[in-house]
This record gives sequence, C-alpha cells and structure tokens, in this order.
Amino acid sequence: MKKLVLICLVLLVAAPMAMAKKYPSRDITNIVVWGAGGGTDVCNRVVSAEMAAILGVNINVVNKPGGVAGSLGMAEAYGMKHDGYTICGLSESCVTAGVQGGWDKKMDVWYPFIVAGSPDVISVTPDSPYKTLKELLEAAKAAPKTIKAGAGGSGSIHHLNLLAMEKGSGAAFNFIPYPGSAPSQNAAMTGEISCVVTSLAEQAQLIRGGKLRPLAMLTPDGFTIDAIAIPSAFADYPGLSQYLPIMQAIGMAVPADVPEEVKATLSDAFTKALATDKVQQWAKDNYYVINGKTGEEASKEFAKLESLFAWTLLELNTTKVSPEALGIPKP
Amino acid sequence: MFILERLGTFFGILGQMAVTPMDIALLFSCTLLGIIFGALPGLTATLGVALLTTLTYGMKTDLALTALLSMYVGAIYGGSYSSILINIPGTAAAAATAMEGYPMACRGEAGRAIGLTTTASAIGTIIGMLFMVCLSPLVSAFALQFTSFEFFLLAFFGILISGTLACPDLVCKGWISGFIGLFLALVGRDRLQFYPRFTFGFSEFDGGIDIVPVLIGAFGIPQIIQVMVNQMKPGEAKPLERVVPEFGKIVRSMGNIVRSALIGVGIGSLPGIGEDVAAWVSYGAAKNASKHPERFGTGCDEGIVATETANNACIGGAIVPLLTLGIPGSPPAAMLLGALMLHNIAPGPMLAMEHPNFLLEVTAILFLAAVTMWIVGISLARHVVKVLTLPPMLFMPIVGLLCIIGSYSLGLSVFNLYLMLPVGILAYAMTELGYPIAPLVIGVILGPMADENLRRALMVSQGDFMPIFTRPVACILFFVIILTFVSQLPVYKRLRTRLADKWTARKTRQVACDTAADFGDNQ
Repeated sequence: MKKLVLICLVLLVAAPMAMAKKYPSRDITNIVVWGAGGGTDVCNRVVSAEMAAILGVNINVVNKPGGVAGSLGMAEAYGMKHDGYTICGLSESCVTAGVQGGWDKKMDVWYPFIVAGSPDVISVTPDSPYKTLKELLEAAKAAPKTIKAGAGGSGSIHHLNLLAMEKGSGAAFNFIPYPGSAPSQNAAMTGEISCVVTSLAEQAQLIRGGKLRPLAMLTPDGFTIDAIAIPSAFADYPGLSQYLPIMQAIGMAVPADVPEEVKATLSDAFTKALATDKVQQWAKDNYYVINGKTGEEASKEFAKLESLFAWTLLELNTTKVSPEALGIPKP
Repeated sequence: MFILERLGTFFGILGQMAVTPMDIALLFSCTLLGIIFGALPGLTATLGVALLTTLTYGMKTDLALTALLSMYVGAIYGGSYSSILINIPGTAAAAATAMEGYPMACRGEAGRAIGLTTTASAIGTIIGMLFMVCLSPLVSAFALQFTSFEFFLLAFFGILISGTLACPDLVCKGWISGFIGLFLALVGRDRLQFYPRFTFGFSEFDGGIDIVPVLIGAFGIPQIIQVMVNQMKPGEAKPLERVVPEFGKIVRSMGNIVRSALIGVGIGSLPGIGEDVAAWVSYGAAKNASKHPERFGTGCDEGIVATETANNACIGGAIVPLLTLGIPGSPPAAMLLGALMLHNIAPGPMLAMEHPNFLLEVTAILFLAAVTMWIVGISLARHVVKVLTLPPMLFMPIVGLLCIIGSYSLGLSVFNLYLMLPVGILAYAMTELGYPIAPLVIGVILGPMADENLRRALMVSQGDFMPIFTRPVACILFFVIILTFVSQLPVYKRLRTRLADKWTARKTRQVACDTAADFGDNQ
C-alpha cells in the first residue's frame, strides 16, 4: 500500500515535469493585436498554420484589437504565463504603444520573429505631370510645401517614409493626413493629393489596374510588378540611403524570458515554416518581402524602429510619454 | 451575347446555391443571426460581420461570403424591429424608421409595419444589387467625385436634414440637438494631429466618444423612463392582423421605393457615410414628394418604406466601390474587405480579371440573402409582435438590462456605462423639453467626419474656401444646405404662402374669366 502511494506521489510530481520538458505538448494561442483580415492577421494565420504542422499541435489565432497601437492585445499576451503557449502577433506600429501611453514597456520585453514586410512605394495618378521621381522632387524643391502628399495617418510608417524621403532629398511636401492607407490612396485617385506613399502590398491592385502610376520604390532595390518596372529612389538620390529603407516588420513574438529551449523550438519551426511553398507563394502573391529574422537580430530591428518612431512622434507632438522616460535612445 | 452569357452564369450560380443544403442552412442561420444583431441595441452590423469574419476563416471562400453577406443584410434590416416595437433603434440606420414605425405600433399596427419594412428592405436590397451589377463603373466614378470638401458638406447636410425632419414643429430644436451631437463628437484626440480636445485629462476620452453607448443611452433610457412614468404600454398588438402587405400597396409605392433605393445606392457608395444618412435623406425626399407631408410623423407607410428601402439599398452601393476600387463604402463593408483579404481575394480594379465570376457570385448571394431575409422576416413578424403583450413593468427592465449589456460589451469597458447614463439623462431632459434625439445621435456619428474633412479640405486648399464653389458636387451640396436653412426661415414661409395665394388667386380669376367667356359663347 505504502509503495502504491509513493509511486502515485512520484508520478504526480514527475509527470508535469516530464511534460514540461517536451514543448509543445498542447495547443498554442496566437493573440493578434490587429483586426481580422488586416495584413498582420493574414500573415500570422498563414505562418501559424505552417508552424502548427511542424510542431504537431494546433495554433489558434485570435484577434484582440484595441487600445493604443495594439496595446490591448500585447498586454493580454504578455500577461499570460511566459511558457511559450501564448504568442503575440504584432507589427512595426506596435513599437509606438509605449510613447503613446498604451502600456509602460519597451519592445525589448519581446523575443520577436519577423515574417515579412511590404516595401513602400511612391505613386501618382496616371494623368499626373510628374513622370519620374526626379521631376516630382525637383518640383517640390522649387515650390516647397505646395505639392500635396498623402501617406496614411500622421505618424504611420508611411509618413515616416515620406519624412525620410524629404530629409534625404531636400524636398518639402504639404503633408495631408488620412485615417489610413486606403483613404489616402483614394484621395490620390480623386486628385485631392498629388502623390501618395503606401506599401506595395496596399497599392498593387491599383497599380496593376492602371489607377495609380508608381514612380519609385523607397528601398535600395527596384521591383517589377506585371512587367511594370519600378526603379529604386536611391538611384537618383543616393542621400536617401542615410534615412531609408524603413520597412514594415510584421511577425510574432513571445516574452523575452520564456525558457531557452522553447525559443529554440519555436525559432526552428518558424524558420522551417517560412521556407514552405505556401508561405513563399503567399508572400509573392501579396508583394511581401520575406524577412525571417528571429531573436537577437529581430530585436535589433524592432529597437531601431522603436527609436525612430518614438522620436519622430515626439517631433510631431503626438506622444504622451516621452521616449526618454521609457529609456528609448535617439535614432 | 456577352450579357446573355453573364446572365446564364448568374442563374447557374443562383441555381447551384439554391439547391445546396449547406448554402441554404448558412443563409437562413446567418440572416437570423443578423436580424438578432440588428434588433438588439448595442450589437451592430459591423460587430456582427467582424465576429463572423473570424468564425468563417476556415470555410471555403464562397461559403464564408454567403455567411457574411447574409449577416450584413439581416443586421441592417433587423434594426427596424426594435425601432418599431419599442422606439429604441437597434442600429443608427433604423433611427429614422422609429419616427413612423413606433406611432404605427402604438396604433396597434406593429405587424403591418414590420411586414412593410420587411418587403421594402428586401426590394431595396435587390435594387441595390441590380445597380451593383449594371452600373458599377458609373457608381465608382461617382464615388471618386468626392473629396474632403464634399464629405464635409455631405456630413453637415446629414446632421441638418435629420434635425429638420425629426422636429417638424420647430426645426431649430432639431438643429440644436444635432449641434449638441456635433459637439460631443469633438471630444477626444483630433484625428489629424492627435491634439486632445475636451478630454479633461481622462485617458478614456482619448479615443473619442463611442457611438454605441450614445445610441443606447440616448434612445433607450428616455424610452424606459417614459414608459415607467406614464405606466403605459409601449405599443399594442392586435392578434389577427395581416402581416404580408397587399401587392397593390407595393405597386403603388413603387415610385417611392425606386427613389429611396437610388438615394440608398448613391449614399452607400460614398466611403464613410452609410445606412444612417441614407435613411434620413430618403425620408426627407419622401416627405417632400408626398401629397400628404402632414401625415409624416404620425405613423405613415410612405415613411417607413422610404427609410427601410434606402438603408438596405445602401448595401449594394457600399459593395460597389469595395469591389471595384478596394474602398469600403460603409463600416460593415470595411469589415467585409478584411474578410476578403483573409481569403486571399484582393478587391480592386483587378478583381474582375482575376476572379471573373466574383461579382456575379456576390450578386447571387445578395439576391438569395434578400429573399431569405423576407421569408424569415415575414414569418418572425407575427411572433415578434407578441413581445408587446408583455406587461411593461416586466419588459422594460429587460430592455434596460440589454442596454447595459450592449454598452458594456463594446470593448468590455465599464467607462461606456458611465457615458451611457449621463447621455441618457440628458436625452430624457431633451425629450421632455420637446427636443428630438435622433439628430444628436446622427451628430455624434457624422461629427468626426465633418470635423476631420473640413480641416483636411482647408489644409489641401491652404485655407481657401473657394473650392466649395468651383467643384460641381460641392457647389450643389452647398446650395442644398442653404436651401434647407432658408426654407425654414419665417420670411421664406411668408413669401411662399403669399406667392401661392397670388397664384391660386390668379388661377381662380382666370377660371372665372374662362367660365365667363364660355358662358358668353354659349349665349
């Protein structure tokens, strides 16, 4: 009898320990901080499905939008046990949650995995007098602050791209803010603004349909979409390389203090998932550039974005908490 | 030949869907779910579509689309239930319906009212759908005529017209109510430069005032208090009542229906402005065109037919720019865009080339959703009316509880309850003083749009107001607004009666002369 009790006790104590060793042993939840159907959501669903197949457990994707810059979802994911069974699906805009008062942490509390980003492109309407980026920027230099430019909302990644382009080329636009990328592209089509900066993924349909004419990619390399070759803006303006590219970083993250072996398992599954045909095809179809950085490297990229966003927002006077108070270094 | 081929494909899809049990089951269940979402204050069409988007992720694209569109159609229609039965619109789109529907219910004609709105909604959806198929390039070209100035003027007109219509005796009261709403909409960080306005340091105010708690507070609380104070029944239900409207009645209202549907499609196609404004504008148009404008406000058929046709026709209108330009025309359509992206369909100018049958598929689904909605609606009407037989002492507390849950469920925030209560008390005081509530809610909904677009327009024009007069659409809207104002001035009214008197006098004189002449001839 005593023996039996002892065995039971040993089993009771040992079983969870044995289970804890083998990660993952149950379903994983991926909390996406943006709404269903957005870029971050679709990206997380595609990659999670592939990772689930590799890990051998389900990854349930749930959406938890709201708060400031996805702070609600991040706070929820971070509030769960740091055991790797809760992943947070996030994007580069989340780096502003701290300075906007959404939560009191820096991005370094995460161990991120960056899936991909879509490069930014500057476009005009087909009947615009500006045929090349050079013509547009020279016109903007000749008459500063008169050419109207849209780039999503104030302080969005596209706005940052526009600002960097202004800095690198010396041109000055009259920036008109819109609630998002789609409304600013729409405004370009109605002729309210003369040029628009958003991501290639967002503009692809309009470019291919002939509703917008791309002038240049704001990345070191050009891009070819349906036989339309888009040159890189860096060719005419080498000075841009000092400020650009500022790329989207869509991906997922686990808290930085989850056990090392969990991080290793997840990183391995993540890398394998990105190599699958399904993910590669999705990226190609939707004009994303696969990134694939994990851990240290990915953290560095997020830290860079964080400092860039935080200090730009401070300049735009839209921060609630100063970047200094959070310990975010200047870019 | 091409059109015939397309028609063939359309009926092929339609036939195939109508015999697939899975499709039928989805159509009925999601339409019913939509109606429930629409009818319950606090649960909106946007929320319904959003929730279903996640649930239908694993489904095949066409099935998911069936579920989402049925939900959308059902929810826009469902709002009329609570409008008619208890004078608390389930969605902002149904606020105008309450103007006529509730008096009808008080007369004991709730069943007939629901029958009419059901039929009007179904016809509205189908007309909207027809426009979507036939004129989509035209409608999207129309949508591209709207820049910030036009959006500002349209939003302003929406507030003005709801104020004008909701308070027929003293229009100024309606406008005042609308401007209170406009003021409430200013609270929060401004959308262009994120400057906090009227937030008094509360971080909860940063995101602005949510529409749902205002909608529920403003309509629900005064109604509950009134019923409790007066110990009255919200409405009466006559048990043996015809629900399906007479065929002749519908044929006779066809002019009204087509006009309302056109307004619905037009307004639906504009991004950001949706079902709520469409309902008010078409209500106003119906009143102006009516031979008996004095009957409006007392429960007349024309009113509810106009509002319900227009808000459902909006759906087709909102889908056009979504599919052709990738711009959603209304908040639920924005959720629909997300759902399509999730299924790897990117709406935009290339859609017609990449998925040639997609538009027809959407059309077929909308058509079936409209028919399903009619069947479900008509069979529900008889039973829904029975809630009115509940004693108000039992019924109203339940409504109160639903109001609280509805406000709270939005973002699960207790702050919304603190917001709902004062808004409700303010609304009750306003109702007692004879101020209409609907313009206040419309003001809160359209306020951000008016504010943001006016400021953006001035940023674009660098402080110049001239584009209002040089842009044709803006110019027309501006003069319509001026006309709406002027037509309420006593001077204008006096002038009009005098002119009318003169005209009739001259006419009588002429008739008298003619008769005299005739008389002379006969001699």
